[in-house]
Amino acid sequence: MTQGQKVYELTRDMLDHNFTAQVAPDREKLQTCIQCGTCTASCPVAYAMDYTPRQLWRLIQLGLKEEVLGSNSFWLCTACYACTLRCLRGIACTETMSALKRMSVAEGMEKLSSSARFYEAFRDTVRRHGRLHEVELMTTYFGRAKKLGALGYSRLGFTLWRKGKVSLDAGANIKRLDQIEAIYRKVEELEAKV
Amino acid sequence: MKYSYMPGCSLLSTARGYDTSARAVVRELNSELIELEDWNCCGANALESVSYLLSVAMPARNLALAEATNRDLVTSCSSCFLNLFKVNHRLKREPELRKKLDAILGAAGLKYQGKARVRHLLDVIANDIGVEAVAKRVDRKLSGLKVVPYYGCQTVRPYGEYDGPYLPNSMDKLIEAVGAETHPYLWKTVCCGGVLMTTEKSIGRKLVADLLGAAKGADCIVTVCPMCQMNLDAYQGEAAAELGMKVRIPVLFLTQLMGLAFNLPEKDLLLGQNIASVRGLLRQLQPV
Repeated sequence: MTQGQKVYELTRDMLDHNFTAQVAPDREKLQTCIQCGTCTASCPVAYAMDYTPRQLWRLIQLGLKEEVLGSNSFWLCTACYACTLRCLRGIACTETMSALKRMSVAEGMEKLSSSARFYEAFRDTVRRHGRLHEVELMTTYFGRAKKLGALGYSRLGFTLWRKGKVSLDAGANIKRLDQIEAIYRKVEELEAKV
Repeated sequence: MKYSYMPGCSLLSTARGYDTSARAVVRELNSELIELEDWNCCGANALESVSYLLSVAMPARNLALAEATNRDLVTSCSSCFLNLFKVNHRLKREPELRKKLDAILGAAGLKYQGKARVRHLLDVIANDIGVEAVAKRVDRKLSGLKVVPYYGCQTVRPYGEYDGPYLPNSMDKLIEAVGAETHPYLWKTVCCGGVLMTTEKSIGRKLVADLLGAAKGADCIVTVCPMCQMNLDAYQGEAAAELGMKVRIPVLFLTQLMGLAFNLPEKDLLLGQNIASVRGLLRQLQPV
């Protein structure tokens, strides 16, 4: 079998139609996918995905939640919007990929935890300063992701520092950091209700 | 014309030369970028991956601040542009989002009516200022220089608000306006890999290598996105290993290239901060 192919014996228990309904943002449109494969043909990273974008939409239509949320596919999406632009059904493919990232973490199923930890480190750095501090982001990320390769980045970091592109001090926070904190808290409150 | 300007986080650090050259070039073209007071991070592609509401509310704070200035909000970063632009698009598409956003911004004592107009710097230079005004300001034609116009993804996708989303050419026209040639390049809107260079290196490296390999024969690559510039500039050694050929090509921000044609000083262009050396490129230029 070629990469991504799998034979299923579908049983009622496997199909989670509730999952299909949860996949934001436009489940009705997603149901209209005709499997033309334009998304996959447009995707620069489809070759590395467990399921190509086209296959992913079909799995969502079927409600195969674990197959979908446990795959690496959406974690590799760089949000380049090539699929979204070209989809002849007008499906918001890229936004769906982001929604899958969120659902996957919420269910504790993330296959590529490095990406998940990166996004979280980004979110937390921005909460602390109102802006992104690249050095803090990288040290937080490598600390949390426990990923090899930090050495390679410290070499790059040295080059950037030598060129005057980054400084090691954290830089200034925005003045109204209280507004950022209020936004984060309100979002947490609203999202806890769902 | 005067614009409110949000440089974005990268332009305060790794892409400082983009910020200084953008301000200088726009000034030379008799317009002005007035920095939006106390702007915050737009969330890049990261916030949407962790929280939908945060990915709307964070750029919306900037829109609320910009709305009060009554000027178009210009940003030079493609990711900021898309995130800011998307808020307006979503507010029109999702009626229930308005209520939530009001509640979130309200908690911070802010209110966004939905009226701020979001512009990419490329749009402003190409369409407001225009190719003719740019050509007129040139002190030194960049004749003979073969330049790759690399747009990347979020500069024109998915909305294609100010240029063709499939085959954009606003940057091509500006490159020609300063006397250089555009190098034929079919990869002009293919993704640079964004954050994959950090999180999944083997995949990111292949994307960067493909883009750099296809630029063979050009004198430099020009971009309007700090992420694209970083990926193409900082990882040339790794791309060379992937391609099995030598890769050494300067990657400039469009406004750095324009600044060379306008004969602006290094303090505005900060070309010395670019990683792939621009020395060979500077030697190719004709004297003023």
